[in-house]
Amino acid sequence: MLTQEIKDAIEAHVKYFGSKEEALLLSLHSIQEHLGHIPEEALEELSYILDIPLHHIKGVVAFYEMFDTGEKAKHRIYVCNSIVCYLLKSHKVFNAVKELLGIEPGQVTRDGMFKLVEVQCLGACSEAPVFMVDNDIYKYESKERLHEILAKYS
Amino acid sequence: MKYLPNIANIHAETELNLLLKRAKRKQTADIKEYLKDGGYLALEKALNMNPMDIVEEVDKSNLRGRGGAGFPTGRKWKFCLQNPAPRYLVCNADESEPGTFKDRLIIERDPHLLLEGMIISAYALGVNRAYIYIRGEYPAGYYILKNAIEEAKKEGFLGKNILNSGFDLEILVARGAGAYICGEETALLNSIEGKRGHPRLKPPFPVQVGLWGRPTVVNNVETLSNIPIIINLGSEGYKDIGPMDYPGPKLFPVSGKVKKPGVYELPMNTTLREVIFKYAGGTIRNVPIKAVFSGALDCLSVNELDTPMDYSQFGFGGTGTVIVLTEEDDIVEACYKIAEFYEHETCGFCTPCRIGCHEQAYLLDKIVKDEATPQTWEGLRFVTKYIQPTSVCGLGAVASRLIKQAMEKFPEDFAKKEQKSFAHI
Ligand SMILES: Cc1cc2nc3c(=O)[nH]c(=O)nc-3n(C[C@H](O)[C@H](O)[C@H](O)COP(=O)(O)O)c2cc1C
Ligand code: SF4
Ligand code: FES
Repeated sequence: MLTQEIKDAIEAHVKYFGSKEEALLLSLHSIQEHLGHIPEEALEELSYILDIPLHHIKGVVAFYEMFDTGEKAKHRIYVCNSIVCYLLKSHKVFNAVKELLGIEPGQVTRDGMFKLVEVQCLGACSEAPVFMVDNDIYKYESKERLHEILAKYS
Repeated sequence: MKYLPNIANIHAETELNLLLKRAKRKQTADIKEYLKDGGYLALEKALNMNPMDIVEEVDKSNLRGRGGAGFPTGRKWKFCLQNPAPRYLVCNADESEPGTFKDRLIIERDPHLLLEGMIISAYALGVNRAYIYIRGEYPAGYYILKNAIEEAKKEGFLGKNILNSGFDLEILVARGAGAYICGEETALLNSIEGKRGHPRLKPPFPVQVGLWGRPTVVNNVETLSNIPIIINLGSEGYKDIGPMDYPGPKLFPVSGKVKKPGVYELPMNTTLREVIFKYAGGTIRNVPIKAVFSGALDCLSVNELDTPMDYSQFGFGGTGTVIVLTEEDDIVEACYKIAEFYEHETCGFCTPCRIGCHEQAYLLDKIVKDEATPQTWEGLRFVTKYIQPTSVCGLGAVASRLIKQAMEKFPEDFAKKEQKSFAHI
């Protein structure tokens, strides 16, 4: 399940912190980045590598919003729906994504390319309404612009 | 660096040119640029000082925490120093409160200002291992900080025997993964330790029992970024900035229905009215202001625009967050969004907070959708009272605060909705 690349990343995190516990969250980030989600089998392997009980790791995964044990997706579109973006019409972003990709929050496109995720404040409120695609932050301008942005992620 | 996510295009302005001197430009200042501006000279100066004298200087400067609670930084450091080494320093870069995006600017555009502040603070506190805990939703910031740390190491500002002073320090960057509660300092420590981000019971405070059980100072990004400024200017010079009681530069993230949203660096004797009209350009299409939310904490009415941006009660010290709502916005709906935020972010540890935050959002949702009955209102009045007294951490303590204030300050808006509920008896 865990490729050599992921195992190397995990090892690098452990070396960086000099602590398996402190490396846990970053290891989970690495798994999700490489696999597009966090499958159960990956957690079993991680538990073995880090020597941390599986139930502890599962509790951690469940606690943190960004860790996704659901359906796999190559890219995640995070749309902010907190107060400022809401006042500045975040519903337009949801509508545009729905029109372009046919997905609602929590759903993955049929080709597994994109997942739409509704999130709380992304900390870029002066640019509201705001969304992120994977690691990149954008101001929503228009449906056309959103289309152009998404086309860059393949 | 092979790959860097894009950074936020946030507008930034400053007349003081202290915290935002470089960050007002929409790009990352590398170490060359920072050094050109006299960067790391404060570190050199500090390393020639006695650590205790640095602590005294910070204490005398009256610097207060910029993370929300506004605790005097010098006092916090002195408490920590009463406890034996090894100690830790942790920079709180979890910034997740709605409307708050000031720390992000420093992290993404002027990371060396923060690093210099941390190195000086660590030296003063006798710390050899420090952490920056950055929220998972700031990936660019994560890579920028790691990169900046490498740059600083190469120049001898970090690592072993810093500038031949005999002082060693490493700074590690830890990442969150989407949990507002991890901004609460003890939850943050649990998160660094690879645990669920539940707050710990206080006391003991982190300065006594913190990361891995060791005495730990947790300070906000903006707080730590003030340290080089204090060292450069001296506490007396620093106290000349702004009002006597609340000196120093302050960042104010302004958003919502204003013409020029962005981050403004101003002294704390500025008023809310000035921030909105003089700096942020007034409201969009000049629609009258309805209310101002200081993040998810306080709700101010238009009668309170002369509130100073300081640490007095309902002032804007701490995070300094300003969210402007106009007459076009529905205050009850806005309260629902705040309730939704707390519902989403309660960590679930205390039953009244877990159930109460959920209940509060559920009832306000009914009210917004005109599906409320008189019982809904009775429930809302009850629930906004019971979350606070029994909660372990600051989240539960304030989860109903803004909503209660809005109900008091905008009785007509709520009464109008309540009238409708009688139709559903
Ligand atoms: C629910 C909750 C969330 C918080 N989030 C943050 C945050 O994101 N950043 C921050 O610096 N402080 C946050 N705080 C305040 C911290 O607990 C702590 O007081 C602060 O980091 C201390 O730094 P300072 O003294 O420099 O302000 C939060 C507090 C609570 C109760
Ligand atoms: S008050 Fe709420 S957020 Fe704080 S510890 Fe209790 S349940 Fe968690
Ligand atoms: S409310 Fe959307 S980015 Fe802050």
